[in-house]
Amino acid sequence: MRLLEKTNRIYLLFSLSLYVIAAFGMYSIIKWLIYDEVESRLLVEKRDFLVYIHHYDWKQDSYFVENKIEVEPAREPLNFKETFKDTLIQDRYSQKMIPFRQLTFYVPIQQAEHRVAIRKSMIQSHRLIEAITLTMALMLGLLLAGTYWFQNRLSGRIWQPFYDTLSRIKTFDLTQKQKLQLSQPEIIEFSELNEVIQKMSDKILHDYLNLKEFTENASHELQTPLALINAKVEQLIQSEQLTEHQTHWIQTIYEASLRMSRLNQGLLLLARIENRQFINDQIINLSEGLREKLADMEEMMQYKEIQLSLSIESPFMVSLPPMLAESLITNLVSNALRHNVTGGQIQLHASTDWLCLRNTGHPLHNPPGELFSRFKKEGSSSESLGLGLAIVKEICDNYGLQIQYTEVNGMHSFCLRKGH
Amino acid sequence: MKMLVVEDEQGLAESITAYLSKEGYRCEMASTYQEADEKLYLYEYDCIIVDLTLPGGDGLQLIETLKKRSASTGIIIISARNALEDRIKGLEVGSDDYLTKPFHLSELNARVKSLIRRRNFGGHNEIQYHEITVQSLSRKVFVKEQETLLSRKEYDLLLYFLSNIDVALTKVSIAEHLWGDHMDSADSLDMVYSHIKNLRRKLIEKGSRDYIRSIYGIGYKFGGA
Repeated sequence: MRLLEKTNRIYLLFSLSLYVIAAFGMYSIIKWLIYDEVESRLLVEKRDFLVYIHHYDWKQDSYFVENKIEVEPAREPLNFKETFKDTLIQDRYSQKMIPFRQLTFYVPIQQAEHRVAIRKSMIQSHRLIEAITLTMALMLGLLLAGTYWFQNRLSGRIWQPFYDTLSRIKTFDLTQKQKLQLSQPEIIEFSELNEVIQKMSDKILHDYLNLKEFTENASHELQTPLALINAKVEQLIQSEQLTEHQTHWIQTIYEASLRMSRLNQGLLLLARIENRQFINDQIINLSEGLREKLADMEEMMQYKEIQLSLSIESPFMVSLPPMLAESLITNLVSNALRHNVTGGQIQLHASTDWLCLRNTGHPLHNPPGELFSRFKKEGSSSESLGLGLAIVKEICDNYGLQIQYTEVNGMHSFCLRKGH
Repeated sequence: MKMLVVEDEQGLAESITAYLSKEGYRCEMASTYQEADEKLYLYEYDCIIVDLTLPGGDGLQLIETLKKRSASTGIIIISARNALEDRIKGLEVGSDDYLTKPFHLSELNARVKSLIRRRNFGGHNEIQYHEITVQSLSRKVFVKEQETLLSRKEYDLLLYFLSNIDVALTKVSIAEHLWGDHMDSADSLDMVYSHIKNLRRKLIEKGSRDYIRSIYGIGYKFGGA
């Protein structure tokens, strides 16, 4: 729910309930006032009546109009209480029921207790109450709608800089290396917010560029000495006068330095994926890429007597930077080959939404998911660095792919799916 | 054949120079941008090997100026930067090849040879070593005028050997040449062995002498004739 929607909703709910309470309150007050007026007039008439019967004898045809006063001998058990009550009496002419306010009291006339009811028609008063209440309700309603509309416009305008900032942050992309440009709103809070965000984004951008530079530098600084070691070793092995021991030592140095440079490259690749330094995403047919890579490894498979079976229903297309797609494919294929057994199998199944690469191998001792961590290896074979699957996982995590590794009875499956 | 090695790491530049000199190239070194720029202005080279990160400037800049001056010089970039953007940029400004550090000297040598073949011989592209003839355009191999059918990898292997005659080649460098640098498992080293066995058999069958020698603990050497 949007901020403005939320405040508007709260505001509307609050003012509506206030409106209902106010309308009800107003109605009650007006009603009370009018009843008070009617009742005080009825009391005056009662006095008039009492004065009249004191001076004159009461007759049914006295000057009182029909329905206005009713005198009858009291029948019920007497309680000489004055009571007011609302009552409906049928109109003589129109047959309508007309509301009346009635004052009932008891008075002795000609030595007999009589119950006297004086009435006043409430029809006009009721109309008055209705008219006043309706008018007031209408005015209040207009006021409510007006303030609601105004508040809506006002907050829309006040929050404008905030939404502006928000949309700019949304479009901000570190990899573009462009500073975040924010406006200077006149509201202090927003201005401060923009300042803070500006500072933060500048710092982030600065750090990002530093990190990128460091990644490049580290790569360069480490690769060069490694290249140097490799080159010197290669020169050294050209020498004819090496003893068997020396050859062995040199070979060990050579392997160690190669291993180190692979490690370095792997870790740098991971860092670069994490920093999202690959930006030129392209739509890539991963199933076709895997098929080609597997075809490229045909000799290797022949050598290990591995059976390859392909079932590609439809191409599995993903959006990836080409270099990472290459890395993903190579790592998956080399993993399927390296941990395979002689006379084993590799199966590639693909469809629009998923892709599975399966290979035979040894049963796992660790939970398969753990092998996605860096330097986590099954067994202690020194030929694998333990980075391949970590790279695969990192690529999948960063580019909206889900990867699952399962192993059942020595059949290892890597399944890729789109979406998180 | 004149070459210029532009590399700021002295030791590496020396190794490259020594290795290539043995192949019969005349090599010169430059360790800074200015030095390289000056040499490229003064002399003509058939091929230059350039590091991208140089003291005093960017190797790409150097290539751009060189391309404007003389388009015929072959250019191989050697860089620690393994980013695709750098590779693309390098090829865009006109380099012919891109090697990521660390590399094998034998691999660099093979790339230089292949580059020079592409540049010098144009259409008729033949490599001759005693009784072995390789037509690199049609990828055909002849022993004493008789065609030998080699698989793709065996052909690549032979060409790699022919580019590095009388040089001890490590198994790893051969494996990397054949399958790229991701195939670092023991399997690929075994594969190297089986490919070499097949290549040797196919060459000898057609009457070639046995040029492949294995060097204990290290790898193989082609030559010795």
